Amino acid sequence: MEGACVELAGKVPAQPVGRSEVEELTLIRRAQEGDRASFDVLVRLYDQQVLRLAVQVVHSPEEARDLYQEAFLKVYRSLHRFRLDARFSTWLYRVVMNVCLDHLRRQKVRKEVQTPDGQDGETEYFQTVPDERPTLDPERVTHSREIGGRIAQALTRLNPRERLVFEMRHYQGLKLRDIGEMCGTSEQTIKNCLFRATQKLRSELADLA
Amino acid sequence: MNCREFEENLPLFLYEELSGEQRAACEAHAAACEACRTALAQTSRLHDVLAERPSREPSTEFLMECRQSLDEALDREQHGWGGLFRAWVAALRLRPASGFAGALALLVFGFGLGWGLRPRLANVAPAPTTNSASLTGTGEDLQDARIKGISRVAPDPKTGDVRITLDAERRVTIEGALDNDRIQSVLVYALKSYNNPGIRRDTLDALRAGAGQPKIRRALIYAMQNDPNVGVRLEALDAVRGLDWGPDLQQAFLDTVQHDKNDGVRVAAVDVLARHADRALTPALERLATSDACPYVRMKCTNAVRQLAKTGDDLSNGNQ
Ligand SMILES: [Zn+2]
Repeated sequence: MEGACVELAGKVPAQPVGRSEVEELTLIRRAQEGDRASFDVLVRLYDQQVLRLAVQVVHSPEEARDLYQEAFLKVYRSLHRFRLDARFSTWLYRVVMNVCLDHLRRQKVRKEVQTPDGQDGETEYFQTVPDERPTLDPERVTHSREIGGRIAQALTRLNPRERLVFEMRHYQGLKLRDIGEMCGTSEQTIKNCLFRATQKLRSELADLA
Repeated sequence: MNCREFEENLPLFLYEELSGEQRAACEAHAAACEACRTALAQTSRLHDVLAERPSREPSTEFLMECRQSLDEALDREQHGWGGLFRAWVAALRLRPASGFAGALALLVFGFGLGWGLRPRLANVAPAPTTNSASLTGTGEDLQDARIKGISRVAPDPKTGDVRITLDAERRVTIEGALDNDRIQSVLVYALKSYNNPGIRRDTLDALRAGAGQPKIRRALIYAMQNDPNVGVRLEALDAVRGLDWGPDLQQAFLDTVQHDKNDGVRVAAVDVLARHADRALTPALERLATSDACPYVRMKCTNAVRQLAKTGDDLSNGNQ
């Protein structure tokens, strides 16, 4: 299980590769002056990570696209408030996290009962990464689909903040300190969230673990 | 360390978020305490179970779609701000295309395509159907393809399909009909964002055939107004001039005559604009007739104003 975490962490670099901070600052300054091309480049530096998080916390491609769009529109609208001495990635993620939290709160109210993470019709949008070679035996597929459903169900038992912290730490491989910075709260608060999330999942999935 | 502390630290232990000292204390406690050892094993198994959740990777095409719709939303946002948008357009035109921003966009674009291909492979059916985009190549070829950029965009005149070749360690091709949404997204994206003017020109060629479709029409107009390369702007203008005339075209051509830095582009644009001008344009044309730097543009505008005054509304239907 540690292997899985490490691998996921590898896929989500805390700092996007291939650009210096100076370049990023130049882009931000230009974008703040209203240069859309610079803003577009900034978006492309971060949007894959944002979309990856989005597809994990929502049910449908439409919702993921809305989340993605809402997040970057918020970034666009409030970019003039960003102070150049802060870390842009942290600031951006704070916006993204708030959008995700709002979404999860609305989701919780709206569809408590709906089956979470329906798989039909999503395959074109979300590539389910196979954990082994494509030729899985059908029994295994059914089994892992069932488990997938159970996990998705269990994740809905977490409150929005616990859910987001858990997604960021367990599935996106981010460090707790970074998550704390992104949420604008202390590392201890994040630790408590993670603790409660783990407790709830343990009891929800006790028969499987 | 007591049992309560161990329990609190357990998730941190498993996520390796403890200091060396705390970690050692946990290990020592687990070695000595059977109950906590069981809890550790159980939580560790929970992590194994959680790893079975299928990890959903957004596909490249989906990312493109998201970018596209964000792009459109940002356009709307800017139009909503009226004057601010105009100021921005003006500022953008004054600034020469920055090589560095372009290179960065190229890099990110290449990276963006590479990402998402890998997970997709298992699901790719090798037989392409006419109305769907497909990746060709054997699974193994594509498995480790690291995409560096687009090397070729080629429409197939016989089938109407478009073939997009990506720079990679091994060759990767995306193929599909122009009315396919994914293909359109990739092309529209390439036209707007790609760094190599040759590729943008090829993309433009590929898109021309579908210029009647709204998304492509918008992309072509965008290229005419915004492409940093004069040749590409002229070619986009050429692709756009034959389309059904409408307010969007009128505005785009007027903007181009008013703002394009290049005389050749303004000359080509004013020809089209003059042909379709209606009386609402008179004030703008009058201003251009005195202010434009190029004598041909001034002359063309003067003539158009004179013509409009003479024939009244007769030309309002466009094609003379
Ligand atoms: Zn104990």
